[in-house]
Amino acid sequence: MSAAAGTAEESAAPPPPQKARSTPAILMRSPGFLVGAAIVLFWAFCAAFAPHFVPYDPLADDLLETLSPPSAAHWFGTDQIGRDVFSRVLVGARDILTIAPLATLLGTVLGTVVGLVMGYFGGWVDAIVGRLIEVMLSLPLIIVALMVLVALGPSTSTVIVVVGLVFTPLVARTVRAAVLSERHLDYVPAASLRGEGALHIMFVEILPNIWPPIIVEATVRLGYAIFTIASLSFLGFGVQPPSPDWGLAIAENYGVLVGGFWWTVVPATVATASLVVGVNLVAEGLQRALAE
Amino acid sequence: MSRIIRNLGNWRLGRTNLENHVIDELLSGRLDRRSFLRHGSRVGLSLAVMAAALKTVGLDPITSARAQSGKPGGTMRIALIAPSGTIDPVTVADQYGLLVLQQVGDFLVMDGPDLVLQPMLATEWSPNEDGTVWTFKLRDDVKFHDGRAMTADDVVASIDRLADPENGSNALSAFKGVLSKGGTKKVDDHTVAFHLDAPNGNFPYYLSSDNYNAIILPADYSGGFEAQMNATGPFKLERYTPKVGATFVKNPDYWGGAPLLDRVEMSFYADQQPQVLALLGGQVDVVQQVTVQGSQSLFDNPAVKILELRSNAHRQIHMKTQSGPFADKRVRQAMALTLDRPRLIQGLFRGMADIGNDSPFAPVFPSTDPTVEQRAKNIKKAKQLMAEAGTTGFDTTFTTMSIQELPALASLIKNAAAEIGINVTLKIEDPGAYYGDAVPGKSDWLDSEFGMTDYGHRGIPNVFLTAPLKSDGTWNSANFQNAEYDQLVTDYVAALDLDAQKDAAGKIQRLLLDETPIIFPYFYNWLTATAPNVAGVQPTAMGQLFLQTATVG
Repeated sequence: MSAAAGTAEESAAPPPPQKARSTPAILMRSPGFLVGAAIVLFWAFCAAFAPHFVPYDPLADDLLETLSPPSAAHWFGTDQIGRDVFSRVLVGARDILTIAPLATLLGTVLGTVVGLVMGYFGGWVDAIVGRLIEVMLSLPLIIVALMVLVALGPSTSTVIVVVGLVFTPLVARTVRAAVLSERHLDYVPAASLRGEGALHIMFVEILPNIWPPIIVEATVRLGYAIFTIASLSFLGFGVQPPSPDWGLAIAENYGVLVGGFWWTVVPATVATASLVVGVNLVAEGLQRALAE
Repeated sequence: MSRIIRNLGNWRLGRTNLENHVIDELLSGRLDRRSFLRHGSRVGLSLAVMAAALKTVGLDPITSARAQSGKPGGTMRIALIAPSGTIDPVTVADQYGLLVLQQVGDFLVMDGPDLVLQPMLATEWSPNEDGTVWTFKLRDDVKFHDGRAMTADDVVASIDRLADPENGSNALSAFKGVLSKGGTKKVDDHTVAFHLDAPNGNFPYYLSSDNYNAIILPADYSGGFEAQMNATGPFKLERYTPKVGATFVKNPDYWGGAPLLDRVEMSFYADQQPQVLALLGGQVDVVQQVTVQGSQSLFDNPAVKILELRSNAHRQIHMKTQSGPFADKRVRQAMALTLDRPRLIQGLFRGMADIGNDSPFAPVFPSTDPTVEQRAKNIKKAKQLMAEAGTTGFDTTFTTMSIQELPALASLIKNAAAEIGINVTLKIEDPGAYYGDAVPGKSDWLDSEFGMTDYGHRGIPNVFLTAPLKSDGTWNSANFQNAEYDQLVTDYVAALDLDAQKDAAGKIQRLLLDETPIIFPYFYNWLTATAPNVAGVQPTAMGQLFLQTATVG
């Protein structure tokens, strides 16, 4: 029996290293992935270092220079209280690129745990949790997030927790499906016969074999997290002023759009869109590479 | 000239001492035209007497808002934000609901654009010697929309209804400590006497359009206003659909003459931007209020007329005076010294605001003492005050609402405070969360250490002086406790005579400038936008639009 178990483990273990060797090569040949990665890396670089090289302090006001159009002095113009839009957009990457990955990480970790539990135990556990997830999924994501934020009050940590929790069932569903396709493979009953506990089997035996779908799901979620957090900021429930956060910048300035002051809104909008597109290109590239 | 003086002498006969005092002040040159009109109207001088007196001293007589061009008939389409609750004259509490009320209803007195009181349902009014009883004479030709005649009984019932705490009336905030239930008494069919709780020199403003709930209803009104909107106004309700809009037709039997417009259509919007677009696109003729933020496309646009009224609408920046880092008045003074007010006005309002001097006495109030020194930005002095108070800086949270220019101003305050070492974290909430339950302990508005609240325009500063600043004030966010201040306000409220009001005002202004419980950075102008073919619309800074002589096309 122990020999059988050993064979099962051996036969299951080799594929990941093989994939791991080939995946980077596949990715490097994927133009979509490369473009996406370049965009994401650009914004990540801005998030980390922009405060050191932008031309103006993104928070400094100048009431004699309000709503100036783009010019040599202010490449993207100034906003309603005379702050430099170019500097604000670059530095504005910081909040979203802190909050969105943390929220995604939280959602992925929780979702993975829930998905493993559902898929491994099956039966009534799967049925009950499955129904609960369906209930949560039937509510629009942004509405659920708004309700919780109204109840708890807006703050950065609340946004992370709320978005993470909202993503949990989505990740859990994907993980559950992956577990279901793994749990009847020989190595699972083998570990069970070996006397391993449920926790060990879930996290040590099954989890290493379902990394690819989890990574893809997490990347897809990151794109949604950026979008959701920008929406929450726009609605006034995310990052607080005077942060140059993009969603907040759009919210603060969309009122003057009618007046023709497009430069107060368009850069933050393009930035948000580019980041979401970049993350999605990365997700798509990963998905293809891991599927091969 | 001597004949005019003699005539004036004749008019003086039968006038009270108070009225004659106002005329003397004008003749001696101590009152300018605007102050004279305002104070004359307050003590009940008729427009005819005031016009004659102005002519005597060579000033422009009263110009009528009726001198308008434009052809009668047609429909005027007005855009406004949807009123938040039921349209009931007793409970309406926002500037949108009050616009609906004012189309169908009339006040005893109208507070016009210059803060000059004009007769409406009352023809004249006068106080007794100490200002505790005010007597109003009513028109005898006023009919409700259902055909019944308006009498003193209707006025007594309408005002008593608002003064009755059991009705949850929105007007209680104004009437509290001024007029109680039972204080309104019928003298005869067309005379009503108001017996006040305490002397009050400005009482007619409490019955004017400033107290926007105080439209006169039939004595037997018992709720359900939205169905008929039966009152005495120039327009009758045709149809009201909550959250959508309302249409009105002209009242041909209006006591002031039938309005020139045939119909008025109101459309309710959720936000300012769609209203601006609707005006630019020709779907509406008037936008009730536009703010500088968000309406930039309307300014300098030949296809739009902006009606601009100076007002005393403002923002109050409160600092807790009893505990925390702002308990030392030198720290509060230092904070007030960091703001560059002329630049705020230029940057946030394109100059369309009056500068504030850290008291509610806006430049538009005639009782304001203009000799009080204006506070100006002075970082050096601010740092010195901080040092004297024994601090080099501290962390604090600034709480306010996400409406109009408040978030922008909050960011500016954060930057200004940083100049003297105060590190401000901003907390910008929606208005519901900010006001909370509006009682201490359950309201960020009243509980925050450092915060900002918006205050709408009023005809007189009394509410601004009492609710947010008196020791027992119900909106006292700064927890300001000052017995000397409380006494000065009582003196000011009771003063009948302009000199006495100015004297008390000057003392209050100096005391508040020294204590600085609240920073008043500016008083911004009221802006209404109309299409170019609209004429005769008379807005008030409360939000009303008097349309009796308005035309479109």
